[in-house]
Amino acid sequence: MSSPAASNPVHIDLDETDQAIIALLRNDGRMAYRAIARELDIAENTVRARVRRMEESNAMRVVAVTDIGAAGYSMLLAIGVQVEGRAPEKVARELAAIDEVFSVNVVVGAQDIEILVVARDQAHLNELISTRLGGIAGVRRLTPALALDVLKNQPDWVPFHDA
Amino acid sequence: MTRELDGLDLAIVERLSRDARVSNREIAETLDVTEGTVRARVKRMEQNRQIRITAVTNIDRFRDAALAYIWIEVERSEQTAAVAEQLAQITELGFVGVMLGRADILAVTMVRNAEHLARFVHKRISPLEGVRGTQSTLGVNFIKHDYRMARIVG
Repeated sequence: MSSPAASNPVHIDLDETDQAIIALLRNDGRMAYRAIARELDIAENTVRARVRRMEESNAMRVVAVTDIGAAGYSMLLAIGVQVEGRAPEKVARELAAIDEVFSVNVVVGAQDIEILVVARDQAHLNELISTRLGGIAGVRRLTPALALDVLKNQPDWVPFHDA
Repeated sequence: MTRELDGLDLAIVERLSRDARVSNREIAETLDVTEGTVRARVKRMEQNRQIRITAVTNIDRFRDAALAYIWIEVERSEQTAAVAEQLAQITELGFVGVMLGRADILAVTMVRNAEHLARFVHKRISPLEGVRGTQSTLGVNFIKHDYRMARIVG
C-alpha cells in the first residue's frame, strides 16, 4: 500500500509547456482540456497527450484531496518518533501501514522519524498513540504536537505510491 | 468545523482520489446516479472546501530533494499568529501550522541538503519579527505521504 510505485516508469523531462499545464491543473484539477489549450494557445490534442504522458510516466497526477475534517478527523498531530534496537526504516514502514499515519519521514536530528497523524477524537488518539504506534517494535518514545491551526497545507511534492 | 461527507460524496471522492481527470459521466455510470448529481456534488464539495482537486508532482523526480521540518519558537506567545501568518506567505513552505507542544509553529519545506536548509532558515525565517529560535530536522527517506488527505485552507 505504501511502497513506492512498483513499476519503474521512464523518467521524462518536463519542459515549459508541461510546467504551464501543471500550474493550471494545480489551481483547478478539473479544468477542461479545451480551456487549458486556449489559455496556453496550443492545440487541445497536445494538452491531452502531454497530460497522458506525464501521468503515465508518474511525473504528475491529478487527484482529489480530502479535507481531514470532512473525512471525520478532528485532530492533526506531528509526532516525533525515537527508535531503539531496530532500523528506523523498518519502524517507518510499519508506521506507514497505519491509515491514520498519513506522512512518514525518516529524519536526522533529535528524532529518528517524523510522522503526521490524524485522529477522530481524544479516545481514538489515546488508543492510537499508546497502543498502535507505541506498540510497534523499536518505538522507544513518541513526542507529539497537536496542530491548533493549519494556515497552509499544500503538499505539491509527494512520493507516489500505489494508490 | 467542516461538514462531514455522506456516502455518495465519499464514493465520488474515492474515484476522484485515484484519478481526478475522470469524466462526470463515467463516475455517474459507475455509481448509477445522474451526471448532473455528480457535477453538483463535486461542485458543492469544492465550494465547501471539503475537497480540492489538484495536480501533484512526484518528489522522486527531484534529485537531492529532502523534506525539512522546521520547528519555530516565538519571542512572546501573543506573536504566534502573526509569525505564522508571515510564514504562510513564504512560497517555499508547503505546511505552516500553529502547534501545541514541541514548539509554537511547525513549517515544512523541501530543500536540497543541510546547507540549503541552514541558508533558508537563516535568510527567510530567523529574521522574521517575533522569531526567537528554530530547530530543524532534515528528512533522509520520505517513506509515505498520503496526498489524498490534507487540511484544506482558504
